[in-house]
Amino acid sequence: MRRMRGVVLAVIALTGAMSLVACAKDAGRRGSVGGQAAACKLADKPELIPGLIATTTATGERIDGSHLRVGLAFDVGGRGDESFNDAAAAGIDRAKEELGITDVREVTASHQESEDVKQSRLRQLAQDGFNPIIAVGFSYADSLEAVAPEFPNVRFALVDATVEGAPNVTPLLFSEEQGSFLVGVAAAYKSRNCHVGFVGGVETPLIQKFEAGFLQGAKAAAPDIRVDVKYLTSAGDFSGFNDPEKATHSTRGLLDRGADVIYQAAGGSGKGVFAAVDDADGAMAIGVDSDQYKQKNLAAYRDVIITSMLKRVDVGVVDFLRAVAKNDLSAMPDVLNLKENGVDYATSGGKLDDIEDVLEAYKSQIIAGNIEVRDRPGA
Amino acid sequence: MGSLRGQLLPPVLAIAFAALLCTITLLISGANPGSALAAMVGQVGEGTTAVDIVNSASVYYLAALAVAIGFQMNLFNIGVEGQYRLAAVVAAVVGGAVALPTGVHAAFIIVVAALVGAAYAAIPAILKVTRNVHEVISTIMLNAIAAGIIAFMIRDDMFGVLRGNNISTAEIASSGWVPGVPLGGYGTLFGLAFLAVAVGIGYWVLMNRTRFGFELRAAGESPTAATAGGVNAKRMILVSMLLSGGVAGLVAMPELLGRDHTYLMTSPAGYGFTGIAIALLGRNHPAGIAFGALLWAFLDKSAVALDNVGVPKEIVTIMQGSIVLSVVVAYAVVRRFELRAEQRRVGQKLGGAEPAAATAGGAS
Amino acid sequence: MTTPTPTGTDAGADPGGGATAVVLSGITKRFPGVVANDNVCLTVRRGEVHALCGENGAGKSTLMKTLYGMQQPDEGTIEINGEQVHFRSPADAIAAGIGMVHQHFMLADNLTVLENVVLGAESAHGIGGRARRRVAELARQTGFDLAPDLLVERLGVADRQRVEILKVLYRGARIVILDEPTAVLVPQEVEDLFASVRAMREQGYTFLFISHKLDEVRAIADSITVIRRGTTVGTADPATVTNRQLAEMMVGTELPSPQTRESVVTDRAVLELRGLTLRAEGDGRELLHDLDLTVRAGEILGIAGVEGNGQTELVETIMGIRRASAGRILLSGKDITRVGTLARREAGIGYVPEDRHRYGLLLTQPLWWNRILGYQTRRPTARRGWLDRAGARQDTERIVRDFDVRTPGIEVAAAALSGGNQQKLIVGRELSGDPVLLIASHPTRGVDVGAQALIWEQIKDARAAGLAVLLISADLDELLGLSDTIKVMLRGRLVAEADPKTVTPEELGAAMTGAAGDRDAKKDGAADHQEPGEGGDR
Repeated sequence: MRRMRGVVLAVIALTGAMSLVACAKDAGRRGSVGGQAAACKLADKPELIPGLIATTTATGERIDGSHLRVGLAFDVGGRGDESFNDAAAAGIDRAKEELGITDVREVTASHQESEDVKQSRLRQLAQDGFNPIIAVGFSYADSLEAVAPEFPNVRFALVDATVEGAPNVTPLLFSEEQGSFLVGVAAAYKSRNCHVGFVGGVETPLIQKFEAGFLQGAKAAAPDIRVDVKYLTSAGDFSGFNDPEKATHSTRGLLDRGADVIYQAAGGSGKGVFAAVDDADGAMAIGVDSDQYKQKNLAAYRDVIITSMLKRVDVGVVDFLRAVAKNDLSAMPDVLNLKENGVDYATSGGKLDDIEDVLEAYKSQIIAGNIEVRDRPGA
Repeated sequence: MGSLRGQLLPPVLAIAFAALLCTITLLISGANPGSALAAMVGQVGEGTTAVDIVNSASVYYLAALAVAIGFQMNLFNIGVEGQYRLAAVVAAVVGGAVALPTGVHAAFIIVVAALVGAAYAAIPAILKVTRNVHEVISTIMLNAIAAGIIAFMIRDDMFGVLRGNNISTAEIASSGWVPGVPLGGYGTLFGLAFLAVAVGIGYWVLMNRTRFGFELRAAGESPTAATAGGVNAKRMILVSMLLSGGVAGLVAMPELLGRDHTYLMTSPAGYGFTGIAIALLGRNHPAGIAFGALLWAFLDKSAVALDNVGVPKEIVTIMQGSIVLSVVVAYAVVRRFELRAEQRRVGQKLGGAEPAAATAGGAS
Repeated sequence: MTTPTPTGTDAGADPGGGATAVVLSGITKRFPGVVANDNVCLTVRRGEVHALCGENGAGKSTLMKTLYGMQQPDEGTIEINGEQVHFRSPADAIAAGIGMVHQHFMLADNLTVLENVVLGAESAHGIGGRARRRVAELARQTGFDLAPDLLVERLGVADRQRVEILKVLYRGARIVILDEPTAVLVPQEVEDLFASVRAMREQGYTFLFISHKLDEVRAIADSITVIRRGTTVGTADPATVTNRQLAEMMVGTELPSPQTRESVVTDRAVLELRGLTLRAEGDGRELLHDLDLTVRAGEILGIAGVEGNGQTELVETIMGIRRASAGRILLSGKDITRVGTLARREAGIGYVPEDRHRYGLLLTQPLWWNRILGYQTRRPTARRGWLDRAGARQDTERIVRDFDVRTPGIEVAAAALSGGNQQKLIVGRELSGDPVLLIASHPTRGVDVGAQALIWEQIKDARAAGLAVLLISADLDELLGLSDTIKVMLRGRLVAEADPKTVTPEELGAAMTGAAGDRDAKKDGAADHQEPGEGGDR
């Protein structure tokens, strides 16, 4: 028994030493992030096409929406998720201010709830007289397909999906790939190793749009760049959106392989990505959905967040409510693109000041249609 | 089986206790328990909620029966989760790929689902019988593996089809659908709710009226006594696990054939775990499980109603959790009380001091 | 409650015999529905061996648990050495100098004798040299010749018991309760134990000796208190009282006897074992070695042996719970070596297992449901894969009636019955359906005298009707009384055969421990010494 204990101790001691060695090696490698490989050979910067970029969406036109009773059905997480539910919430908050809306009911989906619960949620809002009703997240698509025809006079909006054959459902779609393209360009310009990474929460078609745009953007700016992609979970297992621990480990893996700019589209797991990047010397991160540089609970990682890909669900929500208040939905775009400010990149922190002209140039090229951004990786 | 009182008292106590706990929680959080309760009860009459409750309950019922079959054999089949989901995906893929006449098509899909569930449950069963691997460990692992297989199968380069931002399997042709019972404004009752009822009756008959059920329950209660009574306990483990998996395979069928006609990436998971809770709640009794399933579904739907009146819907989760916990405790307490009462009756019958010492001391 | 018996005839009396060690006055302890102890009075003088007699379930254990502080009496007082005390826990009792040696040993196998003795009482003399000296001193006083550094797992039953006694002495006990200490010992070991007890009595220790074995009680006790149905029915002087008188005090009626009437043994072999061998799974140790055995119709064949010498394995192999490694098992001439338990039962084997709770009953299920166990394929409890619930209920009613199972009904859970009634139910079940062979493993262990008599009676009746019985028992009286033939089992072999009409318990005991040295127990009965650790490999 005593001998056994000795062996165990020895093993512990050995592993301890090995992990010390490992740490030392890691530290060495991370320390030499800048010197190990050369920065990218950049492609020529495209020309800026002037006059295409709208600086502001505010129309100045005063619209009264105080008569509207707005129902808002969040996806899992609801208000306070610091991701796209919060973006929708921000839209409502702005709408309250700008349009004078007062009567809003917010309801939230539960984890792994069944289809009929979603339907009941929407139906109850409609029955209680809310109009318009905004459903956040593509998981409401089938529910709206069933419920919307029952209430032809209620105007619905659906974030991230379309419903065929339901004229009273306005889809609020965003070209995530366009915004991701721009942060891909930024990553390529900022990388010292010519090696960047992408961490997706769950391998769904939606998150693949982020990946595809990022990939294309990085390659456009630096054709030789290496882009590593990692998803936390595969389709059907949504825990990847809420597993910061796993995100940290995966991100470390990317960093250890030499990537030094990491773009995350991982919802609640994003925090873990930032934590791993923050740990590594000289690495940088790119946020998603909201301007994550400004988020309070991410303040600790502020230094490594060079930009965020903005998915302006708030813009979509406000635009939709404005259109409803005017009783004219015809102006609503099919997809909110860069052009409509539906997606964008954040400049908070000033870390992109040196390449802003480049990004603006690419942006104008995309808006002009000279660059077509794909929404499927490898397609 | 114990007395009726012994059967009914624990769940009633448990529900009362859980309700009390939730009332306190609501009061602390500043909400009005009265209006919360009114919203919960009131929702049943509104729209399709009543039918939705029954529909969900039929799904839960199948899941809980699958778990209960394992419980009868003292097997903790946590793997119902993986078994039903894998069965659902395979059935959806197979059902979407074949063309068969109406009726036959649906029956074929149901059989495929049951077989897939049973086959997937066979893995932990065989591991248990041959290598003595505990089924809790193996089924937890197999649940994770099932999630991986499902993700792989619904990839759009495998059997998946892109639907906007969602992915699903190919839609099953209408010949494979099981029509529901339309109840007008109240919604549509799943046709396969009747399958759930039939499985429940079959379960009861099997457990209480057949030699097989006797052997299963005997082996579950006391493997040693069952062995001495000529029951092959290993065979019972295998068969009960296959049966459990087979029923687990049916869990997703009401929704698949009655509403969705396709397996979506966003199709809900977790029915297997809900089934464990309901089987505990219903004490493996088919009627108890039916009650538990209805209660569970009612509470689930209450989340919407509570959210609508601004009461935190998490209260429903608290209630569900505390019901299960207190049911387990209440049964233990009541069972002890019942045994005491029964010994007292025996003691009175004998009119002497004899049994107390003997039974309290157990075997000697 | 019908116990108007006079109690404690000389309770508190006899001041001339020295100071009292223990006086229990008017102890009453109620459990829901029953009174386990009712106005019990007991006086134990200092330095005597006081026997407490009573049949199983009479309330002896309850009384001793009260004295040892494991439960509090509802009424009555306890005096120790003349002072009234209130014990809230065994710790209080130990502090007052009371020690209890339980029937089931509570020893850590992987610790040494010394460690076991000191374990839990480290505060008394530490764990070092002082403790060792104290243990050695106690061992010398008591005459226990135990190597302090030997692992307990290497000790035999008798030595384990000595360790238990050392344990309570080490904790300072002057009053020692011995709960059925001889139940696990063979006759020679009993003698050794009694010698030690007498030696310690001379040194001033007081013993409370619980037993229902009357010969032993009369051999060791200085005075005897008899308890029946929870109350003391009187005291007796062992020098003058006879077994019969004692037994009648205990039972209140005439004593049952296991004596078999005239022999009805036929020449028709029912069970035949041919070279039956069983090896342990894994290490291949031989648990049963080349057994040859024949049980004939109308014959009761008894297997004697210290427990753990292969009796359990023999029974389980015959029942098909274990697979024979070699040899054959024939039932009425048909080879059943390869068939399963159920098929053997269907072929007509009834089985009364040694542990009724683990092997005989489904405790939480009603009696009629238990009736089906082992008969789930046969009438009247089943019909073609379907249970015949009405048939099972009816037949359970019959067993309850014919076997005097005391129960309010057949819907109560088996666990609610007392041990004796559970056993009657099992015997009734196993004698159902006209078996040709009954395997009875300790059929009356832990049951009250009434149930014992009834079970013996039923077995004898069945035997007279041509049943073959293989009887395994640790109760030599039972074996000698019932059997037509006795075989002695030692380390997985049948080492001797004895004629129950002529062999004495001492001779049998010698053969059981291997001290006889040859295959005939009758030749050399006066074995005087046996090795510790002969109790077989457990």
